[in-house]
Amino acid sequence: MASIARKNLFEDIPRFLVAQAGIVFAVSLVTIQTGILEGFTRSTVQLIENSNADIWVAAEEMVHFELTQPLTLGQVVQAQQLAGVNRAEALMIQSGRWRSTSGEIAPVRLIGYDPDGQLFRLWNVTQGSQSDLNDPNTVVVDETNLRSLQLEEENGRGSINSIPARAVGLTRGTQSIATSAFIFTSLENTMSYVSAGLTSNVRCDVQSGGALECSTIYERTDSPSDPASSQPRPLTSTDPISYVLVQAEAGQNIEMLKQQLEAELLGTQAYTQAEMAAHTRSYWERRTGIGFVLRLGAAVGVVVGMVVVGQILYSSVSDHLKEFGTLKAMGASDRVIYSIIIEQALWMAVLGYIPSMAFCIGLGVWTFATQGITILITPISALGILGITIVMCGGSALFAIQKVTHVDPAIVFKA
Amino acid sequence: MAASQINLTKLTTQFQRSSHSSLSSQLGAIAAQGLEMVYQSGTQSFHALRDINLEIASGNIQLLMGPSGSGKTTLLSILAGILTPTSGTVFLLGEEITRMSRQQLSQFRLRNIGFIFQGFNLFPALTAAENIEVILKLKGRRAGSAHKEAMLLLEQVGLENKAKSLPQDLSGGQKQRVAIARALAGNPQLIMADEPTAALDSQSGHAVIALLRNLAKEGGRTVLMVTHDSRIIDVADRVAYLEDGVLQR
Repeated sequence: MASIARKNLFEDIPRFLVAQAGIVFAVSLVTIQTGILEGFTRSTVQLIENSNADIWVAAEEMVHFELTQPLTLGQVVQAQQLAGVNRAEALMIQSGRWRSTSGEIAPVRLIGYDPDGQLFRLWNVTQGSQSDLNDPNTVVVDETNLRSLQLEEENGRGSINSIPARAVGLTRGTQSIATSAFIFTSLENTMSYVSAGLTSNVRCDVQSGGALECSTIYERTDSPSDPASSQPRPLTSTDPISYVLVQAEAGQNIEMLKQQLEAELLGTQAYTQAEMAAHTRSYWERRTGIGFVLRLGAAVGVVVGMVVVGQILYSSVSDHLKEFGTLKAMGASDRVIYSIIIEQALWMAVLGYIPSMAFCIGLGVWTFATQGITILITPISALGILGITIVMCGGSALFAIQKVTHVDPAIVFKA
Repeated sequence: MAASQINLTKLTTQFQRSSHSSLSSQLGAIAAQGLEMVYQSGTQSFHALRDINLEIASGNIQLLMGPSGSGKTTLLSILAGILTPTSGTVFLLGEEITRMSRQQLSQFRLRNIGFIFQGFNLFPALTAAENIEVILKLKGRRAGSAHKEAMLLLEQVGLENKAKSLPQDLSGGQKQRVAIARALAGNPQLIMADEPTAALDSQSGHAVIALLRNLAKEGGRTVLMVTHDSRIIDVADRVAYLEDGVLQR
């Protein structure tokens, strides 16, 4: 019976191609929307997922990776001294303003880390070396930001908050879609950039139990910063940081260590790497409308696909109604008739899916190379979309089956 | 009292079964008793067939003739198990098809009836051989044996060289010969033909008539044919006339 399904489908090639175009459009819409959603959420957590830290210690008020209250560098030392901690390092997330040498400005997100550390390392470094970040006023940027920061035209130079910056390395695939251009640099450089034009005061509070808690408060002055004072200075224990990254000793119970860290470092909450990623992913997906909008787009794609395939199958069945009637008259069971229609739907699904997937993969490569936007198509999501396509086409076949179910086999005797 | 009623019902059912059984064994290949077909349209009803009683002996060629609108195609559809009559019974090869479920009827038609249609009803996307193979596969043949059998049937109707041709590339007569070969696929005992020569020119019509006669007589098949074509009368064993839904002898 396979030949009837296939040959009926391919009988009118132009009509078949028009039908396939509709399916390709629908499948591509679903793939792109889900791919952007996947790529978006991955991009927001990739700095977390690519770290080597077992535990991320953040302020209790932390909303997501890029929105948190400061901790102090002294808390890194505190964490390091805790039993069960193999290594503790600081990570800073700050905002800044990039100014190209031609005077154009752009918002940037400064990511400060220890270039000689182990818990936060840049991956996919395509040019330069991370150790160069130990030099004053040096930065590493993602390839996709070269244009927006005008680094190609200006020999890799610009300034951040009026302090000079020189790009000494490039990375690929490290940029988040959701935020400003990432600027990777050392902790000292980060502090230098964020404190440019600011005066600092140390404020100390007596905590319950008599402990003294000090932090450095920065206030912006009206006068521009003195370029001579732009050299990074060594950090002190009161300087603000964003996260304490912790690597546990081998065999250490991570949950217990989290509790110990929270008890020792006041006003903090500890997360495993997976929890930290999930917390940030959840923020972007649920607390912003992005997840909803992209899922809605994918749902619209499925609906469009069902309408297109349904209409095509219905008209195909209508055109071949007498043939189905003839089969029924000659003794074909309903199951046989349905299997012909479902096979047609499956052919349409598979033949629509393959070019759609090829198109979307090509589009993803292009958007990643030119815009730094990932349309993420994993083997699992590709399989899932194949499943959706089959369900979409199979569901559409129900309309056609409904039509053929009510065919009066007596129509075969009408010439 | 209740028990005796149940026993009485059982006895009546048994009697009916035994009388059907003995009746069916005495009947010909096709038998209709008291057939009525009434179409209802709103408050109006149209009597398409009235009290049809018909019996066709095994191996006979029976023609069903009559003017347009006389009910020939309706009667053929009922006798083929495609339409259900308003009342009456139909026996085919000794089995009462008017008692069968839809699924049983499909199975019965597949096993026992070959169809020939006025408009040929070939599948346009399939070649001549594939048109026959479809039916053989429905009857459970594997692809290889279905193809061999289809080629033999095409040879029987003189179209072995057209096996790979699509219906659109065949003449009317050739199409009907493919349709006849398809009707013979799986060797059914009954052939139901609706105006098999109506769409053919004189020469093709004669060729198809001769072919039908040979295949029916050599294969011992029973053929019921609705036709307007008076040329076929010569090859028929019996002719029945329908007028206004009533069978004229």
